[in-house]
Amino acid sequence: MQNHLLVVDDELDIVKPVAAFLERAGFRVTTAGDGIEAQEKIAEIGPDLVILDVDMPRMNGRAVLRSLRGEGNDIPVILLTKYGEASERAQAIGEGADDYLNKPFELIELEARIRAILRRVQKGMPSLTAAQKLTSYGLVVDRVTQRIYHDGQELTLTPRAATLLIYLMMHPDEPLTRDRLLDAVWGWDYATGLRAVDQRILELRRVLDEDSSAPRFIETVSGVGYRYIAPVSAKQ
Amino acid sequence: MKPLVQRGLLSSLPLIIAGGAAYLLRSDQRLLIETTLSDTLLFAGGLLTVVAWLLTWVWWRGVRITEKRNAALLEESIVNHRRFLQRLDHELKNPLMAIRAVIDNEQFKRSLASELDPLPVNGDAAALDRVNAQVTRLSQIVTDLRKVSDAETVPIETAPVDLNLLLSDTFVLLQEHPDAAARQLRLTIPQAPWPLPTIAGDWDLLYLAFYNLLENAIKYSSDGDSIEVRAREEKNRVIIEVADTGAGITADDLPHIWEELYRANRTRSVGGSGLGLALTRAVIQRHGGVVAADSRLEQGTVIQVELPVTGAQD
Repeated sequence: MQNHLLVVDDELDIVKPVAAFLERAGFRVTTAGDGIEAQEKIAEIGPDLVILDVDMPRMNGRAVLRSLRGEGNDIPVILLTKYGEASERAQAIGEGADDYLNKPFELIELEARIRAILRRVQKGMPSLTAAQKLTSYGLVVDRVTQRIYHDGQELTLTPRAATLLIYLMMHPDEPLTRDRLLDAVWGWDYATGLRAVDQRILELRRVLDEDSSAPRFIETVSGVGYRYIAPVSAKQ
Repeated sequence: MKPLVQRGLLSSLPLIIAGGAAYLLRSDQRLLIETTLSDTLLFAGGLLTVVAWLLTWVWWRGVRITEKRNAALLEESIVNHRRFLQRLDHELKNPLMAIRAVIDNEQFKRSLASELDPLPVNGDAAALDRVNAQVTRLSQIVTDLRKVSDAETVPIETAPVDLNLLLSDTFVLLQEHPDAAARQLRLTIPQAPWPLPTIAGDWDLLYLAFYNLLENAIKYSSDGDSIEVRAREEKNRVIIEVADTGAGITADDLPHIWEELYRANRTRSVGGSGLGLALTRAVIQRHGGVVAADSRLEQGTVIQVELPVTGAQD
């Protein structure tokens, strides 16, 4: 089955080559030039996934996303955010984006993210994006407030560790490279940053009381990075 | 203050004389006789005090106004500069994305074509690679600029940061640098009478800031050079120095090394975006600290970071 994607950006010079690339990669692609048009196209064609730019005239990408989730529509969305704005990344998760990418990015990376999300959907894994709260064993995470509870007790985490945990939980069972985590949570790409990732993982494991030889939540994928292994579900 | 008092005294002197003269002239004979020397002195002294006080006040007010105006101007220029960086990032990111998308698409097309039918390769694949490399470089500069403006504005984490651990960890990473083996590296952190304090700050950003300094020391030195990292505590401040016996910086370049994208002509051959020190300074300033540099050409450079010891004593 050919998956149908909607690519939304007000820059025609971006939309065109992105659409051409994704078509060449085997997807069916429809495009839209602003938020209002995006809403119309979503209603009209029912795409499998939306690639949504944030900065757009008429209605920006965040407003489109909020309105979708507000209606209970859990169609997968990849948000194209501004580079480096930490608050924007945390908000993107809070507002229900499945993933986000900082411009300028490589189209191969976009394709990989699309395939990872579609794989989750096709496996019949429940969408986590419309839920404000996620649960996993004794862990309860509020994506909007970034508050995290373990066995009923609120955990004290640094803001980056909280964002990291939520990002991991949003991508269960997917091996995530340290580079990708760094980009997603810190918005950096420095060599020193890889240690920053390791350190926050250590913080999470300590707070979650993980047994490093038999982790329940976060597994180290040797030579790659980390993977969230506990089952995650939406909490009503 | 000294010349001011002198000036006050000098300018009040004619007033005293004039005032005294008027006093004497306008009074009748009887009063003049009754006026004693001490009265006149008292009068002159009082007048002098009032005038000196008045002058001091006027001067102080002038200084205050100038200071305020300068501070406002400085603040304005910092804000303008930051806005400019953000705009630059904003305006460059879409064109760069468009170019990147065209290149990626073109390369994808070529890779498919060569697999199936190697015909439609008109033009130079190597040229595409060159454009690609330049776009990557430009993207790096834009994202680095963004990081500097981010470091200046985003809320930073304030968790306890153990400076001993931070510096030794940074040093360990430095030792892994490919050029580190050929340099003499030394780290001096005091242990007695007490170790460096724990400060409140953002570990990741501080780590980045110090690593930038250490990496620079390696970049701008050669095989056999020494690099020393020294730290000490002094009256509620921690002073960290990164010193090298490397190439050094010219006196003309030295005041500008903290500016974004500034690169001395003689270092153009060394890789880097010219944003590392700007980022370091931004991070240190966000922690209430200051940076300074001293250098002698062909002898080496020392960068000094001063951080206030704030809270987080746990």
